[in-house]
Amino acid sequence: MIDLTTAGGLRGAVASEWIKLWSLRSTWWCLVSGAALLGLSALTLGGGTATSLLNDGVRGVTLPAGESVISAVTFAQFAFVTVAMLAVTGEYASGGIRMTLQATPVRGHVLAAKALVLVPVMLVAGVLSGSAAAVAVYLFLSVPPFGGYGALPPAETTIDMLSVGVFLVLVSLMTLGVGTAMRSAAGTLTTAFLLLMGLPLMLAMTGVGPLVSLSLRMPMFAGLAFMDSSDNLTGGPMPYGRVEGLLWLLGWTAVALAAGHAVLRRRDAS
Amino acid sequence: MISLRGLSKRYGDRLAVDDLSLDLRPGTVTGFLGPNGAGKSTTMRMILGLDRPTTGVALVDGRPYAAYRHPLRKVGALLDARAVHPGRSVRAHLLALARSNGIAPGRVGEVLESVGMEAAAGRRAGALSLGMSQRLGIAAALLGDPEVLMFDEPVNGLDPDGVRWVRHLMRSLADEGRTIFVSSHLMSEMQLTADHLVVIGKGRLIVDAPLAKVIAGSSLSAVLVRSPHAGDLATLLTAAGLRVERTGDNDLVASGATIERVGDLAFDAGVRLHELSTREASLEQAYQELTAGSVEYGARTAGG
Repeated sequence: MIDLTTAGGLRGAVASEWIKLWSLRSTWWCLVSGAALLGLSALTLGGGTATSLLNDGVRGVTLPAGESVISAVTFAQFAFVTVAMLAVTGEYASGGIRMTLQATPVRGHVLAAKALVLVPVMLVAGVLSGSAAAVAVYLFLSVPPFGGYGALPPAETTIDMLSVGVFLVLVSLMTLGVGTAMRSAAGTLTTAFLLLMGLPLMLAMTGVGPLVSLSLRMPMFAGLAFMDSSDNLTGGPMPYGRVEGLLWLLGWTAVALAAGHAVLRRRDAS
Repeated sequence: MISLRGLSKRYGDRLAVDDLSLDLRPGTVTGFLGPNGAGKSTTMRMILGLDRPTTGVALVDGRPYAAYRHPLRKVGALLDARAVHPGRSVRAHLLALARSNGIAPGRVGEVLESVGMEAAAGRRAGALSLGMSQRLGIAAALLGDPEVLMFDEPVNGLDPDGVRWVRHLMRSLADEGRTIFVSSHLMSEMQLTADHLVVIGKGRLIVDAPLAKVIAGSSLSAVLVRSPHAGDLATLLTAAGLRVERTGDNDLVASGATIERVGDLAFDAGVRLHELSTREASLEQAYQELTAGSVEYGARTAGG
């Protein structure tokens, strides 16, 4: 009846986390609302830019739809990272974490399994919802009065949407790390918001050189640099390129996951 | 077998579990008793590797719980029936657990059937009554067909039929050679279920002995004797080291020896007996005597 040779360990934990993720309605809700939010924000931002061009009488330029989607991710990311947050804070809130750790007593395996499940989910969610949003923006900017502004260059858009997927993977893992360290939903949401948007914006607005430099290396602007946003929401050009943006993102993600792992290993389960 | 060696847990300046050493044997139901806050749940959590002992070790067949690749197949535990994500269905909850330990998915249906919850498989855990949650917790504990089962207050919220079902389940699991470790506040229930008792108070071991011995050790367990020569017999039994109390011209109550020994002493002395019977203390009485000094949050009763 029971096959002693099968899984357990990390592989078993991944299989378990996969079932746990999809057996909650909140996962579906967050992904659907993330996609909707991404589409609506992208349409709003794209429409806004086109309206400015129209009012300024600028003709003969095109707006690649991917640009609007990349700017929109800055807002829509919060719906997506909520999936990552709930994967861990939901377990602490209900006490289910004790059962999880009984089943997978190696704590690092639990965190690794949750992370490994988020990677494909967020990549696919990012690419699919980003592509849908890009097509929507393109169609929106292809009809009067915007006729002519819409553009959907295939190669560029493909790279943009892959970048959106990778960005969502990394901010989700960051949130997972924060959630594992904080354990409560309220603390995680606050910290994730500060990290992903609040602090970078506040620091950038100070206008103080070193603080602005720091803000540009925080996840929000690092993400915009990585996704090669020309309109990085601050108006100014990013001081570094895609690769450095990715490295900063990876750095923040690694720090957050390491913090989560340290807390998970050291503290009692409940 | 579960072995605790010098197990201690300190929270700040409070010692929740204090130098606990004991063995839990296969084929027996070991009742785990103690006042609230005595450290029962903490001890169970340390056995499962959920809480880290401050000192000492808890071993399952000589290895720490966390060293097992498929721990649910070694130890099944119900700690807190409500500790299940309320939004997940009963089936999905058990399926996720099964997959984590490489347990065949078909086992989920089997355990649901064995706890009488097949019809509730699609329901969300948050919508279950406390009694149903307890059954789900027991199903989860049984999932890996483990050698060791631990239950923290398993009959909480169960109706009388459920209580009886849990009692039979524990007995049959022990009869299959498994190690059963169960905590409960219901002494009458424990008296019917347990073979062996571990009593702790303020984190310290008070008793680790067979149930029968704990009950016999109570001052309220005694031998009742009626004899036309009660006076002579009282002298005789006192000389033999028993505590004797005269309750009437022809009646006395002797404690500190078995009924067989009292009968033999009377026979050897040629004292005629008209009645020889035992008065057995309840587990509740024995327990209260044992823990009188270690009730952490107890209300002081008059004269107590």
